[in-house]
Amino acid sequence: MDEWKPNPAVKPHKKRSWYLAWKYKLMNQRALRKLCQTGAVLFLLVTVIVNIKLILDTRRAAYEEEEESAQDYDDEMLNVEVPRRLVSSKKVLDVEVYSSRSKVYVAVDGTTVLEDEAREQGRGIHVIVLNQATGHVMAKRVFDTYSPHEDEAMVLFLNMVARGRILIFTIKDEGSFHLKDTAKNVLKSLGSQVAPFLSWRDMWTFVGKKGGEVYGEKHAKSPALSTWGDPVLLKTEVHLTSVEDAECHWPDTELNRRRQRFCSKVEGYGSVCSCKDPTPIEFNPDPLKDNKVFDVPVAVIAGNRPNYLYRMLRSLLSAQGVNPQMITVFIDGYYEEPMDVVELFGLSGIQHTPISIKNARVSQHYKASLTATFNLFPDAKFAVVLEEDLDISVDFFSFLSQSIHLLEEDESLYCISAWNDQGYEHTAEDPSLLYRVETMPGLGWVLRKSLYKDELEPKWPTPEKLWDWDMWMRMPEQRKGRECIIPDVSRSYHFGIVGLNMNGYFHEAYFKKHKFNTVPNVQLKNVESLRKDAYETEIHRLLGEAEVLDHSKNPCEDSFLPDTEGKVYVMFIRMEQEADFTTWTQLAKCLHIWDLDVRGNHKGLWRLFRKKNHFLVVGVPASPYSSKKPSSVTPIYMEPPAKEEGAVA
Amino acid sequence: LSLTSLVFLLFQLYYYKFYLSQKSGAVFSKVRGSHSAQDSTRWQVVRKFLGLISSHNIPVYLIDPLILGLVDKDIEQIRSSPDGPSPECKYFCAPRDFTTFALLDKTWKHEVGLFRTAEKMGFQWLKIINKDPRLDGMDDLSGIEIPLHYIFKLASHAIHLVVFYERSGNYLWHGPLRLKQHMDRKFVPFRKLHFGRYPGAYEKPELLLVSIDDLKVQIPKNPSRFLEEMSHSRFLECRYREARAFFQLYPDDASLDAVEFRKKAKSLLHLAALTLNNLGVKFWLSSGTCLGWYRQCNVIPHSKDVDLGVFIRDYKADIIPAFQKVGLPLKHKFGKVEDSLELSFQGEEDVKLDIFFFYEESDHIWNGGTQAKSGKKFKYLFPKFTLCWTEFVELKVHVPCETLQYVEANYGPDWKVPVKTWDWKSSPSNVQFNGVWPVDEWDDVIQIY
Repeated sequence: MDEWKPNPAVKPHKKRSWYLAWKYKLMNQRALRKLCQTGAVLFLLVTVIVNIKLILDTRRAAYEEEEESAQDYDDEMLNVEVPRRLVSSKKVLDVEVYSSRSKVYVAVDGTTVLEDEAREQGRGIHVIVLNQATGHVMAKRVFDTYSPHEDEAMVLFLNMVARGRILIFTIKDEGSFHLKDTAKNVLKSLGSQVAPFLSWRDMWTFVGKKGGEVYGEKHAKSPALSTWGDPVLLKTEVHLTSVEDAECHWPDTELNRRRQRFCSKVEGYGSVCSCKDPTPIEFNPDPLKDNKVFDVPVAVIAGNRPNYLYRMLRSLLSAQGVNPQMITVFIDGYYEEPMDVVELFGLSGIQHTPISIKNARVSQHYKASLTATFNLFPDAKFAVVLEEDLDISVDFFSFLSQSIHLLEEDESLYCISAWNDQGYEHTAEDPSLLYRVETMPGLGWVLRKSLYKDELEPKWPTPEKLWDWDMWMRMPEQRKGRECIIPDVSRSYHFGIVGLNMNGYFHEAYFKKHKFNTVPNVQLKNVESLRKDAYETEIHRLLGEAEVLDHSKNPCEDSFLPDTEGKVYVMFIRMEQEADFTTWTQLAKCLHIWDLDVRGNHKGLWRLFRKKNHFLVVGVPASPYSSKKPSSVTPIYMEPPAKEEGAVA
Repeated sequence: LSLTSLVFLLFQLYYYKFYLSQKSGAVFSKVRGSHSAQDSTRWQVVRKFLGLISSHNIPVYLIDPLILGLVDKDIEQIRSSPDGPSPECKYFCAPRDFTTFALLDKTWKHEVGLFRTAEKMGFQWLKIINKDPRLDGMDDLSGIEIPLHYIFKLASHAIHLVVFYERSGNYLWHGPLRLKQHMDRKFVPFRKLHFGRYPGAYEKPELLLVSIDDLKVQIPKNPSRFLEEMSHSRFLECRYREARAFFQLYPDDASLDAVEFRKKAKSLLHLAALTLNNLGVKFWLSSGTCLGWYRQCNVIPHSKDVDLGVFIRDYKADIIPAFQKVGLPLKHKFGKVEDSLELSFQGEEDVKLDIFFFYEESDHIWNGGTQAKSGKKFKYLFPKFTLCWTEFVELKVHVPCETLQYVEANYGPDWKVPVKTWDWKSSPSNVQFNGVWPVDEWDDVIQIY
């Protein structure tokens, strides 16, 4: 027990003390832990407070910001961008092409990109160009190869399409009658096996890559002359390439970026998109010394003829003294391709929602364009008005710069025009010569702001009046006896053959042989004598010096004029009163100049050139210049052909 | 746990301190006042920006109201020593979030090169575009959106470049600053910008090239006038969309008479504006002319006169001779300066110019009318309004900013319906009978010529 006793006594004691110590230690540790815990809680508390403060601050800041954006700086829900479906993510395109007598359609991945079932329209070969990387439609054309020459246009177009593009062909109604061998060979070279044997009223569809594989072709022969081939439907797949392969690798400049954007979107513009040595899109023509029209806005009136617009803008931007910043292209309708052309050249373009129809639509488009021009350039006193189917002469701005002060100073002037209605290859001669005429030619002209704002704009024909704007401007109520200045040799050239009032025959007859100045920096010689009174003096001087022609001869014959050069001749025709243009119209007809209405007259006087001589025609007795007629001369009278009731005028 | 929380706390404390110092920094360094230019981020950024735009030949001018305010105090000295080195950095060194410049749109060609150079110099930039108001009034034209504001940010400072456009009426216009959805709302504290809350209209300023704080910069030749202009530059666009809707309902009168009247009214308004502006008399479109602007953005063809409002405190005795001098004889004068003044001038043919003088009370504004044959007085009450600029028939003119209230007070809730028969004594919804002029005053307060 003893043994046990002390030991246990000690032991417990010892044990106890150890226990105590341990307990104490433990307690100590607990305190520490408690301390730690308290500390942690404190930390946390501080953290929380700091956090709360921070959160509050940030929220306040954020709230302020939100409030500000809500109050002042939010755009009213406009411009919500709708995510566009990207075709490019797909590797294969499903293409469906249908050809039949009365209907054609093309669908790419289920989306109809062409559908034509209109009657009496869209005959011939429809061509669609797709981008080989994105599948986007880059061009859509129809060539009426039933009619002559359309196959040539198609060959021209196909040659302009870049290698690698996907081409889709389909025939509506008839596409072989005037499809010549050249065109057939081009189609054959694209991989078509049927093209060389295409014949009368066959149906045909073809999908291939330019300079590459053929994706499909279907053909239905016409069994007899009087019937059409059965409709054909071609379904095929086209494998897309990578975007890099589809694009050219031009040096990275601002200009080339514009080019790239253009060329990946549209087709049919030829060398502007060639990978090697593309044609420039910036021209930097020489500036004009003392250019009086540098700050005059230029309004280009356009419709949906992007190839015309392309040609027009090229010539405009190449004219000396052009100021691209002043150019605005007004597009009648939401057409993309004309806008692409405008952007290619780095110009600004404005689209106009079409109002009304046909002539009235053109007229409303003109009004909107002119109003917008003067709004955009409130300082301008004038505006140059151009159309998309004009070539612009290299000295167009030089011509205007030399003459514009007349329009500012001479109240009796209505406009300056770059176009001489009677200026044909055989009737115009002197690029430095100007005339005053009572008719407004249009086709590249300058409009005075005050005339537009004070007179024309307020009473411009409203949409329901189906009037031609230019006919309206020529009416006496508007023109009020004022005249336009024109050059002998036109500074614009009307190349458009497709248009509202235009067709191939009409163009051939009245516009093709028009003279167009190509000489740069022509110094105009008689500018000051164009003022109202000075011009009369000038005319009297001319008539005084003019040799009277032999009135017994036929004025239509070349021999009517002697074989001289540089002389002035005068002839007198019958003109009973101011509006009697019977003889003039017949004369104009046989001289092969503009005879559809009366153009280019000044007080019953016409000025033109014949066989390089200045040739004056005076209407007697209506013209005040009749007094110059020698009493021995009888004015020539020409009768209108019995059936055709004279002039349109 | 404690360790992480400690680290976290430290981090937070640090962050908080950083946050605080950033906040108070501006205040703190403001106290320091002028200091060496090189130390100032702002000065550096402005210098870089001026270098950037001069390397691209873009003429900008300073319109920062705070700096122009300072410049204006020293304008004589600055004008007299255009090249002298500055002893201290007084203007461009006060730390601010922005410095504001103006750019005349037609003086540059929108070259993209500018922005590439800017990026190379370290600037971040933001372009705010919107539709072109000059085409807004036109049926169905959709142009390219035009740039209204640019912000160039470098380090902690940003340059706000306001683009000014010339508009019909021989004035400059700048657009409002509105962020589109995808834009970075925190790019800069937009709220602190001095320009952009509203569109503004300004005269074309004459500029002066000065050297301040060793920076060559163009400023408006008369800074105080610019600042004064700025304080009430708010511009209201005509409500073209509503005007189109109005004409859908009530087709415009296109008769020759209407065309002629509009032409005469327009030229009369131009002449009146020229005359009053030359005298320095502030005026606004009132009554029918104001309604025409608000409802149809044009002169109402059957209104037969042009109505202007002028605060009586702006009345000048020269008004009558000035109008007579430009060929507008006084037709009648009703009331007197102290009460119900109204002047009428005879314009071309039948068109009359009425100038109503407005009297301000504590809670409303009124003008008076007088019936000549009876000497009866009328009072037309309007809620209080301020003046805004607008464009009307190619003229920059004032209209009440609170146009709707103004028009409604005058024409009632049915102002949208055209009324051809109008009696000025009974038709307006805000007319009150106001007694009769004492007979012995008639010679003075009823003058008809």
